[in-house]
Amino acid sequence: MSAEEIRAALERLREAGRRIRDRPARETISALASVLDTWREPDSRVRRAVRTEYADATGFSPDMVEAAMSRALAGWTGDALRSLVDQELGGIEALEGAAPRNAAGFEVTSVLLAGSLPSPTLIGLLAPLVLRSPVLAKTSNRDPVTPVLVAESVAEADPELGACVEIVRFSGSDAACVEALLAADCVVASGSDQTIASVAARVEPPRRLVGYGHRLSVAAVAADRPADSAARLAEDVALWDQLGCLSPVAVFVADRDPGAAMAFGVELADALADLEERWPRGPVSAETSAAITRERDEAEMRAAGDAPVLVYRSTGSSWTVIVEADARFRPTPLHRFVRVHPVSGLHDLVAALTPVKHHLASVGVGGFAKQPREMTAALTQLGASRICPLGSMQAPPLSWCHDGRGVLLPLARLSDAGL
Amino acid sequence: MSGGDPARSELDRRILAWMSEEDASEDEARFEELALQLFSHQFAHCEPFARFCRARGATPEDIGSWREIPPVPTGAFKEMALRSFPPELEHHVFRTSGTATRRRGELHLDTLALYEASLLPSFERHLLPDLEGPSERMRMAILATSPEEAPDSSLSHMFGVVLERRGSPESGFLVQRGELQTERLLGELEEAAESDAAVLLGGTAFAFVHLLEAMESRGHRIALPEGSRVMETGGFKGRSRELTRDVLYQRLHRALDIPPERIVNQYGMTELGSQFYDSVLRFPEAPRRKLAPPWARVRLIDPESGGEAPCGEIGMVTVLDLANTGTVLAIQSADLGRALADGFQVVGREAGAEERGCSIAADEMLLERA
Repeated sequence: MSAEEIRAALERLREAGRRIRDRPARETISALASVLDTWREPDSRVRRAVRTEYADATGFSPDMVEAAMSRALAGWTGDALRSLVDQELGGIEALEGAAPRNAAGFEVTSVLLAGSLPSPTLIGLLAPLVLRSPVLAKTSNRDPVTPVLVAESVAEADPELGACVEIVRFSGSDAACVEALLAADCVVASGSDQTIASVAARVEPPRRLVGYGHRLSVAAVAADRPADSAARLAEDVALWDQLGCLSPVAVFVADRDPGAAMAFGVELADALADLEERWPRGPVSAETSAAITRERDEAEMRAAGDAPVLVYRSTGSSWTVIVEADARFRPTPLHRFVRVHPVSGLHDLVAALTPVKHHLASVGVGGFAKQPREMTAALTQLGASRICPLGSMQAPPLSWCHDGRGVLLPLARLSDAGL
Repeated sequence: MSGGDPARSELDRRILAWMSEEDASEDEARFEELALQLFSHQFAHCEPFARFCRARGATPEDIGSWREIPPVPTGAFKEMALRSFPPELEHHVFRTSGTATRRRGELHLDTLALYEASLLPSFERHLLPDLEGPSERMRMAILATSPEEAPDSSLSHMFGVVLERRGSPESGFLVQRGELQTERLLGELEEAAESDAAVLLGGTAFAFVHLLEAMESRGHRIALPEGSRVMETGGFKGRSRELTRDVLYQRLHRALDIPPERIVNQYGMTELGSQFYDSVLRFPEAPRRKLAPPWARVRLIDPESGGEAPCGEIGMVTVLDLANTGTVLAIQSADLGRALADGFQVVGREAGAEERGCSIAADEMLLERA
């Protein structure tokens, strides 16, 4: 792929965008709704390809991928898409110049994909199309499969809309290709803070940058019914091998008795061991495996130093539960590695999360607080963009305010019409 | 030497004797005996280490080989004082630089005798193999702070001992209050270039990057005399400017006319009394690999199985060091490496490696907030 080819793709997309904007917006929405319905259908061609080609490319186990996709897409219906348009834009009329406040997408939107989870890629490519902004997407190294499947499913639903999606693949170190991609009117970039900052330096106003940084999630549980909470939390951990920004990396157990965290740790370890049978974790690099070993060994040394720390581990590196003696946030190597911390209540929880508040995504809750409203307010103030029950952390609604923002609004230009 | 415990003093004496032998050599039986005795001593005197070993079923009664001694991860030195002597006998503390984490690791020592006795023969073998004898000295320009300015830096202490024992009178430290004394250093290098006497530059890799940037921005090159050499150590993790070792060596070659085969990387860590050096000056015809002194052993451990990685496969660098008499002798480093002939290579993170997900490892974000 050359920079010249990317510039040519942008030109084709601009032309395709003009054609699609000549059609009623509700036709586009209907086509995209049918795309979502196709993705929700377990026996559809795209879902079969996700179970095979995608699992092969990413190293995730097919059974885990299928379970994760079923949950992630359960609520992503065509109707949910129409509701999203209503909720964020006030209705389809806003896309047709028939509302007091109207919305339009940019002439072309470039999307720099990162990581390898399919559902962020799916909504990442569909959201600009809702606004009738054509999409030029660069695949991530880890997942060359999903973006192509999304593009194909759009073309199958509506060939003219399919011409509004092009997928490109090139090395992130190819400066000429990157520059060509960033020439779009709107750029959506996902990745580390460093990546976002680097893109921001090259996308100057009036062009728009929408950046989504790396995030982490945690859980907060009450000490009662540990087996039930642990089983649901273990699923949230195991799905996507804990690599998603909605995957919990630590769980805070509310009880003044530190024995409660220990009891929860035992249940969580049992649940993760069971899940390893059902949804085996994918292979990891030597570096990751070494990081897991190191964190386990360091925890065992803290235990040897007389701290009440417990380590539960698989043979090999496939899952780990560390019951810590305090609420201090510690490094996590991911890949199904969870720390269990005792806290006395909401105040302790907020204090423990403060060092990572700028990167907090989701908090899964299992009966942690007697006053949920107080807890929601405190976590929202801290920066969490989703507070949900355990067991549903990997299934955000289509309208989830990713990184605390909307899905469509960050990609839209608005106008107030008083005619 | 350590005071107090007669058994420990005897162990120190025997290990020091080995280190002081002019042509100290590998001796597996001698290493095995000393390692097992030292393990017994530390098991009896360092309670956290004993508990750690007991939890793994490794007590002095249970194990028959130094290979079975459980290694302590370096991260543990950030959490607790690992002493095999009474606290009141503490004589010195070395601290890690803290660049890779907010917490600094601490090495508590009751004597510096073993540290100093171990470092010098290794340095001489790998950096000064062409010098006539122990009385011959060499001009050394050290791109690090002096031990007087950084008494808790083991690297500064090491350079201090080397300068005192093998450095010529013009030798000195060229980092002050954290700043490389660029003008003074360039003046000294120009002077060395004119004198025709080889010079040794030693320091952290990152200090060399500063020197290169200063020289390159002025288009400055200095052809140092033949026989000059570089010893660099440390990584770039957590620094704003990262580059590969190959690139660093090419730039040093261009700027100072010191070819890569005369640049020696030292692999060391605060938690260890001994250091490991690239073989290139000592064995110029053989592949570059790091060699251990006779009183230390390196194993590459497969993190998945816990056993030794097959030769050539990647494993965790684990060191058993008899110079660590006052602390713990078996250390699990944070590095990966692979065995190569009679030595090993340290391997970095895969170039271009990209995480699979959109989660962030918490250590990365904690670093950002540091």
